[in-house]
Amino acid sequence: MFLCVRVFVANIFGLMKHRLINLFKYPLVLLALLAALAPIYWMLTISLKREVDQFAVPPRWFSFTPTLEHYADAFLARSFGQYLITSAIVAVCSTFCALLIGTLAAYGLARFRMPHRLDRKLSLWILSTRMFPPIVTAVPLFLMMRDLYLLNTRASLVILYTGFNLPFVVWMMRGFFLEAPRELEEAAMVDGDSRLGALRRVLLPLVAPGLAATAVFCLIISWNEFLYALVLTQTDAAMTLPVGIAGRVTQYEIKWGVMSAAGVVAMLPILIFAMAVQRYLVRGLSLGAVKG
Amino acid sequence: MDVRFDKVSKTFGASVAVDDFSITIDDGEFVVLLGPSGCGKSTTLRMLAGLEDVTSGQIFIGGECVNHVPPRARDLAMVFQNYALYPHMTVAGNIAYPLRIRKLSREEIAGRVERVAALLEIGSLLGRKPRELSGGERQRVALARAIVREPRAWLMDEPLSNLDARLRVQMRGELKRLQHELGTTTIYVTHDQAEAMTLAHRVAVMRNGKLQQFDTPLNIYHRPANHFVAEFVGSPSMNFIEGRIDPATGVFKGEGIVLHLDRPRFDSLKKPDAEQRVVLGIRPEHVQVSAGQRDGWLPASVYVTELMGSETFVFVTLAGEKIIARAPGEFRADVESMVWVNIDMTKAHLFDANTGENMWRRQDV
Repeated sequence: MFLCVRVFVANIFGLMKHRLINLFKYPLVLLALLAALAPIYWMLTISLKREVDQFAVPPRWFSFTPTLEHYADAFLARSFGQYLITSAIVAVCSTFCALLIGTLAAYGLARFRMPHRLDRKLSLWILSTRMFPPIVTAVPLFLMMRDLYLLNTRASLVILYTGFNLPFVVWMMRGFFLEAPRELEEAAMVDGDSRLGALRRVLLPLVAPGLAATAVFCLIISWNEFLYALVLTQTDAAMTLPVGIAGRVTQYEIKWGVMSAAGVVAMLPILIFAMAVQRYLVRGLSLGAVKG
Repeated sequence: MDVRFDKVSKTFGASVAVDDFSITIDDGEFVVLLGPSGCGKSTTLRMLAGLEDVTSGQIFIGGECVNHVPPRARDLAMVFQNYALYPHMTVAGNIAYPLRIRKLSREEIAGRVERVAALLEIGSLLGRKPRELSGGERQRVALARAIVREPRAWLMDEPLSNLDARLRVQMRGELKRLQHELGTTTIYVTHDQAEAMTLAHRVAVMRNGKLQQFDTPLNIYHRPANHFVAEFVGSPSMNFIEGRIDPATGVFKGEGIVLHLDRPRFDSLKKPDAEQRVVLGIRPEHVQVSAGQRDGWLPASVYVTELMGSETFVFVTLAGEKIIARAPGEFRADVESMVWVNIDMTKAHLFDANTGENMWRRQDV
C-alpha cells in the first residue's frame, strides 16, 4: 500500500517536473529568438521605410509605406556595389588561400612526428598568434603595407585575412586529420598513389564536411572583418562593405536607410551560404564528437 | 617475386621494434610472421610496404634494394586489419582505385574488376558503399583490391582477426586456395598460431623484435628452436617441468618428479653439468592417461577435464606439477579422482632454463 502511494507520488512529481520544464522551455526559446531576430527585423524594416517613417513616434513596427529608394541610393547612386564586389573577392580569395595553405600545414602537423616534439610545439605556436588583440598589429601592418606599396589594394586584405584565418584552419583541419584513420592513406599509397594523391583522393573526401565548416567560418570572418579594412583601405576602389557602411556615419548626417539597405545585402550571402552547407556544417562541427 | 630481409632493424626512439631481422622468402611462397602483440611483426610488414623507414639493414624485392623506394613504386598490395576500404567510394570504385592510379583504360579496368569480383563472389555488391557491407563482405572487397593489380607480393596484416570464428575459418581456407591458384608471394602477419600453421609454407616466429625460428609449420611444431616457440605454438600449450639432469645416469629430477630420459637421445646430447637448470617440455598428445592402473605409469590426480567432443583435455596434478594431457573423446574422469599417466620421453624436449634454447632438436622428424 505504502509502495503504491510512493510510486503514485513519484509519478505525479515526475509529470509535474516534465510539465514545468515544458512550461518554461518554449517561452525561453521564444525570448532567445526575439533577442536574436529583433535587430535584424529592425534593420530590414528601416531599409524599407521612407525617412519620415524611420523615427516615427510611436515606432511603426508593421504599418509603413515600403520603398526601395535606399537600395537604389546605396547601389546605384553610391559605390556600395563596388564595396560588395571587393568584399566578395577578398573573402573568397583569402578563404581559398587559407584553406589551401592551412590544410597542407595541418596535414603535415597531424601526420609527421618531428624531432623534439616540434610538431606539437609548432601547432601551439601557430595557435598563439591568435592570442593577442588585432589592434596591436594594426599600426605595424599599416607601415609594412605602405612600404610594400599595398595600401588601398585588395591584395593587402587578401594577404592579411589569409594570415588571420590560417591558425584557425590549421587547428580545425588538424583535428579532422587526426580523426581520420591513417590506414586509409597508407592503403592508398601502397595501392600506388603518392602522398599528395592520397590526400586529395582519399583523405579530403573523407574530411569534406570539416573542410566545408572551416570554409564557412573563414568566409564569415573575412566578410565581417572591419578593423584592418578600415586601417588599410580608404579609397572606394579597395574598400570593403563593412567599412563602406560605417562610412555613412558622418559629421553632418547618419544615412540610416542606406546603411540598413547595405547591411541587409551584406548579410544575405552569408545567410544563403550557411543554409546551403548547413548539413555539412553540423556534421563537420560534430565530426570529432561521435566516432564511426 | 622473392623478398629478402637482410639484418633489418627498426628503432622508435630508444625502443627497438625489430632487431637484426633476416629471412629470405622465395617467389610464390606463403610466409606467416607469427608472434604476440608488440613483437615487431607488423612493423616488419610495414617496413616492407614502405610505410615505415628502415633504421638499418636492407630489404630486397626481386633482388632490388627497396629501402628508399616509396610505397607507390614497390608494386605491392596490402590488406589491413580494419580493411581500410575508402568509405566514399563504391565497392567497384575501391577495387578499381589501384588501376585508376595506374591510368589503365576504362575498358581494361571494368574487365579486371569484373573478373576479380566474380572470383571472390562479390559481383552483386559492386554498386554498394563499404558501410553497407558485412564484415565478411568487406574482407572480400579488401582482398579483391589487393588481387586486382597482380602485384609483386601480397602483404596481409591480421586480415581475418575482425571476423567471427566461423567466417574466419572459412576465409582462411579460401585465402589459402586463392594464394595457391594465383601463386603470388604472400607475407601474412598474425598472432593466431592456428592461422599460421594452416596457411603458411613457412612460419617466422618473432618475439621482442627478434626472429626466433623460421621454418615449416611442422618443424616449428615438432622441433621448436626454444622455450618461447614451443610455448607459443600449439593448443593447448606444451607442458613444462623445471628441474636438473644427472649427467651420469640421464635422470631428470623436478620438484617432486623423477623421469628417465630416452637413452639414445640422452647420449646424443651435449652433457649439461649437474647444477644446470633445465626445462623439460612435453606436448599434451605425448602424455597418455588411463583411468586404471598400469605398469610403469605414474599416479596423478585429476584437476579438471575439458570436453571438446572429438577429444578431452585432462588437466592432472602430477607430483605437484600441473600437466595437460590430450585423451580420446570418450575419456571421462571425475575431478580429484586418481588416474595414471605415461609421458612419452622419446618425444620430450629439453630447454636450457637460462637461454631457453632447445638443447636437442629432434633428428627423427
